[in-house]
Amino acid sequence: MLDNLLAFLILAGAAFTFIGSLGLARLRDFYTRLHGPTKATTLGVGSLLVASAIHFSTRGEGISLHEVLVTLFLFITAPVSAHLLAKAALHLRLASLAPAPEEEAPARQGDASPEER
Amino acid sequence: MSLGLVVLIPYLGAVLAAWVARFGRLHSAWVAALVAGLALAWLLPHAPTTFAGATVVQRLAWLPAVGLDLAFRLDGLALLFALLILGIGLLIILYARYYLSERDSMGRFYAYLLLFMGAMLGIVLSENLIQLFLFWELTSLASFLLISYWQGREEARNGARMALAVTGAGGLAMLGGFLLLGEIAGSYELSVILASGDAIRAHPLYVPMLVLVLLGALTKSAQFPFHFWLPHAMAAPTPVSAYLHSATMVKAGVFLLARLFPALSGTPEWAWLLILAGGFTLLLGAFFALFKHDLKGLLAYSTISHLGLITLLFGMGTGLAAVAGVFHIINHAIFKAGLFMAAGIIDHECGTRDMRRINGLWKYMPHTATLAMVAAASMAGVPLFNGFLSKEMFFAESVHLSAGLTHGWLLLVAVVLAGVFAVAYSLRFIHDVFFNGEPVDLPRTPHEPPRWMKVPVEVLVALCLLVGILPAVTVEPVLAMAAASVLQGPVPPHDLALWHGFNPALLMSILALAGGLLLYAARKPLFVLADRWQGRLDARALYQRLLQGLFALAGGVTRALDIGSLQRLIALFVASAVLLGAAGFLGGEAPLTGGRALLPVDGVSLLATLGLLAASLGAVALHRRRLAALILTGAVGLVVSLVFIKFSAPDLALTQLSVEVVTVVLLLLALYFLPQRTPAESGLARRGRDALLALAAGGGAAALAWAVLTRPYESIAPYFLAQSVPEGGGRNVVNVILVDFRGFDTLGEITVLALAGLGIYAMLERLQLPGPDRDAEGRPWDWDTHPAIMASLTRLLLPLALLTSVFILLRGHNLPGGGFIAGLVTAVALIMQYLANGAAWTHARLPPNLHPVIGWGLAVATGTGLASWAYDHPFLTSTFGHFDWPLVGEFELASAMVFDLGVYLVVVGSTLLILIYLGLMHGASHVLRPDEEAR
Repeated sequence: MLDNLLAFLILAGAAFTFIGSLGLARLRDFYTRLHGPTKATTLGVGSLLVASAIHFSTRGEGISLHEVLVTLFLFITAPVSAHLLAKAALHLRLASLAPAPEEEAPARQGDASPEER
Repeated sequence: MSLGLVVLIPYLGAVLAAWVARFGRLHSAWVAALVAGLALAWLLPHAPTTFAGATVVQRLAWLPAVGLDLAFRLDGLALLFALLILGIGLLIILYARYYLSERDSMGRFYAYLLLFMGAMLGIVLSENLIQLFLFWELTSLASFLLISYWQGREEARNGARMALAVTGAGGLAMLGGFLLLGEIAGSYELSVILASGDAIRAHPLYVPMLVLVLLGALTKSAQFPFHFWLPHAMAAPTPVSAYLHSATMVKAGVFLLARLFPALSGTPEWAWLLILAGGFTLLLGAFFALFKHDLKGLLAYSTISHLGLITLLFGMGTGLAAVAGVFHIINHAIFKAGLFMAAGIIDHECGTRDMRRINGLWKYMPHTATLAMVAAASMAGVPLFNGFLSKEMFFAESVHLSAGLTHGWLLLVAVVLAGVFAVAYSLRFIHDVFFNGEPVDLPRTPHEPPRWMKVPVEVLVALCLLVGILPAVTVEPVLAMAAASVLQGPVPPHDLALWHGFNPALLMSILALAGGLLLYAARKPLFVLADRWQGRLDARALYQRLLQGLFALAGGVTRALDIGSLQRLIALFVASAVLLGAAGFLGGEAPLTGGRALLPVDGVSLLATLGLLAASLGAVALHRRRLAALILTGAVGLVVSLVFIKFSAPDLALTQLSVEVVTVVLLLLALYFLPQRTPAESGLARRGRDALLALAAGGGAAALAWAVLTRPYESIAPYFLAQSVPEGGGRNVVNVILVDFRGFDTLGEITVLALAGLGIYAMLERLQLPGPDRDAEGRPWDWDTHPAIMASLTRLLLPLALLTSVFILLRGHNLPGGGFIAGLVTAVALIMQYLANGAAWTHARLPPNLHPVIGWGLAVATGTGLASWAYDHPFLTSTFGHFDWPLVGEFELASAMVFDLGVYLVVVGSTLLILIYLGLMHGASHVLRPDEEAR
């Protein structure tokens, strides 16, 4: 019973990860492609983590909490990287299927170094 | 070990003297005086034993495996020198307290002086030749610091460097001589060496050994042709000159001659080398002294001359000559220290040392003048003063020696001539300075110095008179004691008296005095002549040419290899590695492939390898697009860490992963300053060469790995696997190896890491480089330097990341992890805050000074190692135990975990230091947003 559940979770995770990768390769512009990997990490890796947590918690060595931490890390970092990627794309005015939003502030001559400070 | 303490006390005192200076200038002087007094107090209880003729030897095991002990020896000669060093040292300390001005750092001065005192005491109290050599080199170093005390002056720096170069070179030769001597005698202990003089002199290696040892002694004592450093060392403050050139530094050379007298003297080689060097020096020094217009220059050359006299006496090799040599060492130390101090007072009061301008000071400072005149008369060898006695013994010995030589009269002429010059320059010191008209254009009006500044001179002058008038009562016991230990046998009968009747020595004294008076009377035309010849006769020129040649050679070698191109250096490095590796392969007969059966290839490994190949090839193909190449290089690192996981090395995988992240961040920070695309810089031929080199190096490494991996081999891994738990108390074998079995290596590595971090900090601090203000396509950077989403979420991430790193640190001893990985994780977590929130925000919350972190890390790691000494175990022995902690249950603590904490702190501190200062370089090119500018 437990094995079946674990197998299902792992397979689901693998499927989502695969779909995400496929999307990254196949979708037509940067903004839609961005969806692939971000969804894949949350849902796909999420399923795998749940599987891992159940597996290690039912081996009689106490509850496995590592996965909670990994999940937290994922849930914090994935949006940040997606946001940064989208920002960079907007800044560079990459081609978009939908009309791009208005600029929030005018790009000024001499504006420098976004990340490095 | 009370003798060892006598040597150690000045060293401890040096630290104290430097430290108390922060509470007040004069505290250092008091501390220095107390320290010297304390050392004297430790020494004096031994004096009665030594006066009775016994030799005290105390030893402490040092390197028993090679038969070296820390051994200290106190005999008559050592006691005499130790008394001179400490006694005159005390007077110098008192004198310098008034001599140094408000601007001079007292703490530094007295710290250096005490360091020097300790080194000198070490020389004279050493029983062991190697130990003596160590202290000998320490005097060279300490004198370098003392001579260059006024670091701002170029002549001080040059003089110090010259002294260090000449005495250091001599010291190197002396080390060779000592090693030979130790081998010849079969021991480095003086007791053995001094007792086996006959065997040493008969040994075939005697001559080369003698030459090497004498090179050391003669350079130190400024003997011709190595005398030129001494006048340049006069750039030191006068108390230093008074100390170094009367009782200590230069006397170390003649001390060595006296010390090894029983073992080495008595052969024609010894006699000729020393008589020639000493004779030349005696004459030349006296000659040049007369023509120096600088007060200290005159004293410097006179010092050279007197050292020549002492060397000559020891060269004669007879017992009486050695007695005279020791006697003159005492006398010269006393009157020359007094003269230097008087010269310092005059310099201090007049603001110049030029004798053409200082005249007629008798009117302004009669007290000082009287003192200086007594000391100068002693230097000239006038009866009733101590210099007369030893000089007359010297004349008598010269007559004795010349009788046995074919051209002995030459020696007599030279000796009398030197005496004539000595009288003339002493006369000049008295007459030119204190009489001879009125002062010319002095910077300030001279008057008597502070009362206590004269006290040291008074003490020395009183000694001059006491020894000169009542020698048999005052100096005879000391002289007999010292001479007995120089000769290691009975002292020949000698009569210390003013009047010996009419004899050749008295005649020579009278000749010298009369000739000196005449010479001084006829000085004017001689000075004109000397000024014309100024600078023509200069041994320094040879030294300068030699030095320049050496610099040119070193520069040439560097320029030939390093033309400022990293590519070239790397190419040279890789090519030599390939050549040396290939050379290793050439000789062997063994086939490349060993006998071990090959494992089947599995899919995962194959895939990983293909990934590695693809990433590497991609990095090569895209190497001109730096960012892409960097990311591909990062991919290589990630695949490698996957490979580690595949082969069950989670620890290595973790390490590799965190190192990879830090490296990529580091390179990203540096990449900012480089163009995003590199233009093709090298031609086809160059690229072909590089490709060949790369293939050869990679192929070579692969061949080596293949050859090793296809052979069955026994490694020490099973030992570590088996011993990890019982001996190291940890199940993570990698970590136990790092912090326990190979803990000392790790300590060295983190020290290197700390130094590298500090070095990079030193180079980057306040360095501001203009970066590009737009990307390769000409687009400006985004104005939003710290996007809000990233900034706020990253703050959230910090506690989680720190939690993880602490977790990794704590479990490291038993499960994958450890201080190094945890340190990297912490560093990455913190650097994230810098990237997301900016340096200003982060510095407001986190102290930017990381040096204490590094320092504490090293202290904790070293302290853990030292703690095992307290339990009589070797350095870095680890211990562990199981403890019961309520609620948590039983857990294990190992001392190695504390060590790991040290590793952690050093890694965090160094990595952050490097990353932060690499990032801060960007400040200059960062242009603020309009609203930020408004703030």
